[in-house]
Amino acid sequence: MGEYAVEVHDLHKDFGEVYAVKGVSFNVQRGEIFSLLGPNGAGKSTTISMLACLQRPSQGDALVMGHSVTAVPQQAKAALGIVPQEIALYDDLSARENLDFWGKMYGLRGAALQKQVDDVLELIGLTDRQKGRIGKFSGGMKRRVNIGAALLHKPDIIIMDEPTVGIDPQSRRHILDGVKALNQQGMTVLYTTHYMEEAQELSDHIAIMDQGEIIALGTHGELVRIVGEQDRIDLRINAPSELVMAHWQEVPGVSQVTADDGLISLLADDSNVVLPRLFEVATAVNVRITSVEIQEPNLETVFLHLTGRALRD
Amino acid sequence: MRVVDLAIKDLRQILRERQSAFFLLIMPVVFTLLFGFAFGGFGGGDDEDPRLPVGFLNQDAGTVSEDLVTLLAQSDVIRLVTDTMDVADLETQVKDGVTAAAVIVPAGYGQHMTAGELVPLTVIVDSGNASGITAQEEVTAAVTRLLSALQTAQVGMETAVSQNVISESDKPAYFETTLARAITAWAAPPIQVAVSQSGAVDESGTETAVSSDNAFAHSSPGMMAQFAIAGLITAAQILVLERKSGSLRRLLTTDMSRGSILLGHYLAMFVTILAQLFILILFGQLFLKLPYFQEPAATLLLTVASALFAASLGLLIGALAQSEEQAIIFSLVPMFVLAGLGGAWVPLEFTPEGFQRIAFFTPIAWMMDGFKDIIVRGLGLEAVLLATAVLIIYAIIFWGLAAWRFRFE
Ligand SMILES: Nc1ncnc2c1ncn2[C@@H]1O[C@H](COP(=O)(O)OP(=O)(O)OP(=O)(O)O)[C@@H](O)[C@H]1O
Ligand SMILES: [Mg+2]
Repeated sequence: MGEYAVEVHDLHKDFGEVYAVKGVSFNVQRGEIFSLLGPNGAGKSTTISMLACLQRPSQGDALVMGHSVTAVPQQAKAALGIVPQEIALYDDLSARENLDFWGKMYGLRGAALQKQVDDVLELIGLTDRQKGRIGKFSGGMKRRVNIGAALLHKPDIIIMDEPTVGIDPQSRRHILDGVKALNQQGMTVLYTTHYMEEAQELSDHIAIMDQGEIIALGTHGELVRIVGEQDRIDLRINAPSELVMAHWQEVPGVSQVTADDGLISLLADDSNVVLPRLFEVATAVNVRITSVEIQEPNLETVFLHLTGRALRD
Repeated sequence: MRVVDLAIKDLRQILRERQSAFFLLIMPVVFTLLFGFAFGGFGGGDDEDPRLPVGFLNQDAGTVSEDLVTLLAQSDVIRLVTDTMDVADLETQVKDGVTAAAVIVPAGYGQHMTAGELVPLTVIVDSGNASGITAQEEVTAAVTRLLSALQTAQVGMETAVSQNVISESDKPAYFETTLARAITAWAAPPIQVAVSQSGAVDESGTETAVSSDNAFAHSSPGMMAQFAIAGLITAAQILVLERKSGSLRRLLTTDMSRGSILLGHYLAMFVTILAQLFILILFGQLFLKLPYFQEPAATLLLTVASALFAASLGLLIGALAQSEEQAIIFSLVPMFVLAGLGGAWVPLEFTPEGFQRIAFFTPIAWMMDGFKDIIVRGLGLEAVLLATAVLIIYAIIFWGLAAWRFRFE
């Protein structure tokens, strides 16, 4: 068994004409939190499906705790806990009944099962609500049970597919803290998200995914350095103008200009130097700047730099 | 073991759903009663007398026709209904199936018969109705007995006169006494004709015509067959929801194989229908007085085969339906088609031969046939073996289709 919990070698997946994953490779070290960060449709879930042995790769392979997902899927599966992107639970059963059922499906029985269910309920903070039906739970509570169901069999690795989608900030906080706690107990975490703050807060390593490919991989610090010491300047103007964007592109120190839904984003070496020039150019072509915002470099900036598009939906 | 755990989970969900009780038990019981009363045919509420009702109108007066009544009243097959004085009404009752046949004794019948002249009784039957023929045969038998009794009395009287035992004026009284004695002798006939079933085989021989005395002998197995299909609506919906929610996919992340997941769901459906059928059979036995327990082994075998078949259809419905609404439609459509064609509503023996041939392409017809073999024809294990085999073949076919079409996401 190698030093990696997960090794992914050149994974491909196509659905007929749709190339969902186009040659993805990365390694997840034991005991770390590794994030796949990417927008909708990037191929995160498809990649995870292949790791979970739910879909067969069109090409390539992955090792989970040294077990090939194509050759020995049963062994690979046993090492994994999967938290699906959707709430894969039974609405008409209670939280405890759900956990009880999933525990049995993972092969637990009797007292060992009951103890695990108790522990997991404690961990997800739902001991008091264990008899409540899932269907009556809030989104955040459902998400917590969804995670809990993947922890019962104490897997070496937990893979979480966007576990914080569509929930309130308090529940999100609870989940992020829970992920860190699990990691501190020694569990390897593979986490996917399209929130850069989550990737930044949690991860030891981050792979940025877009359109089926990994376009950057490293620690948060390494990734941010890709864009150098550049700032990101977001501007709004009174009327759409191709002309002003073309002129801004010519301003020394500006490396990239992109427009997205009325918001113009620039990457600039030093906003203090560049900003006055931007106003001058705008005035010259009769465009009014209505708002300006300067952001320090972050993963959002990196994504913008690499793809010319914004990460958020 | 995990297959059983999965089935238990399904059963828990099925029991928790209020509509389950509705489709599994309430509807079939209600429809069994409704259909029973609607198509029950003869004498709906009169469960006590199992004999075929025969309309009877006596236009004659005198002892001979009364003796005929006595003979007919001894019958194990027919009973006389004498509430109508109108010939047209008698005909209508036969046509509507209220009575199996009608007998009219013409005026002067007794006089002519005593004089040794044969006068036919008018017997009204519906030629399409096997019970009518049975009733007619019984009436003919009674008339034959009456004739021989009359002859006995005649011979007895003439002998008495010739030997001067009685005077000419005592003749009528002596005749009557002798006749009465002859008639009474028929009550204990020298040859006992055992009539175990009031049925007869029609010429084509495709389907045994059966007229059970019990109004529910058809509707009980009919509604059992029909609602064994509808009973799986909840189970199929649970499968659909499991797929929709992603739980089915999640099951695949455990080391449950696809086959054992299907088997677990099938097991839950099988147990559901088995329980449903047992309760309905118990209801039939205890409240409708249908002799399901007369042949317990045959009933058990047929019930298990029926549940195997119905559950496989349920699995197929769960495999094909994409939404909860579709699960309902995919259950109700085959339910109506199979139940209608298979003779769950109208007994196949009342349908044309061509229809019957089509009917036996449906599993329902076999299920019905098997149960009627037990509760109507009084047959046992051997009689239901074919129906059992056919139902199991259907189960295998539906299983194959379900496994082939089953999608996990
Ligand atoms: N079964 C499938 N058949 C056809 N196309 C598919 C299938 N599954 C995924 N895709 C396509 O593959 C691409 C990647 O999808 P995937 O779900 O992996 O993205 P994702 O990164 O998880 O996105 P999201 O944030 O929306 O969950 C998308 O274009 C999607 O439409
Ligand atoms: Mg996804």
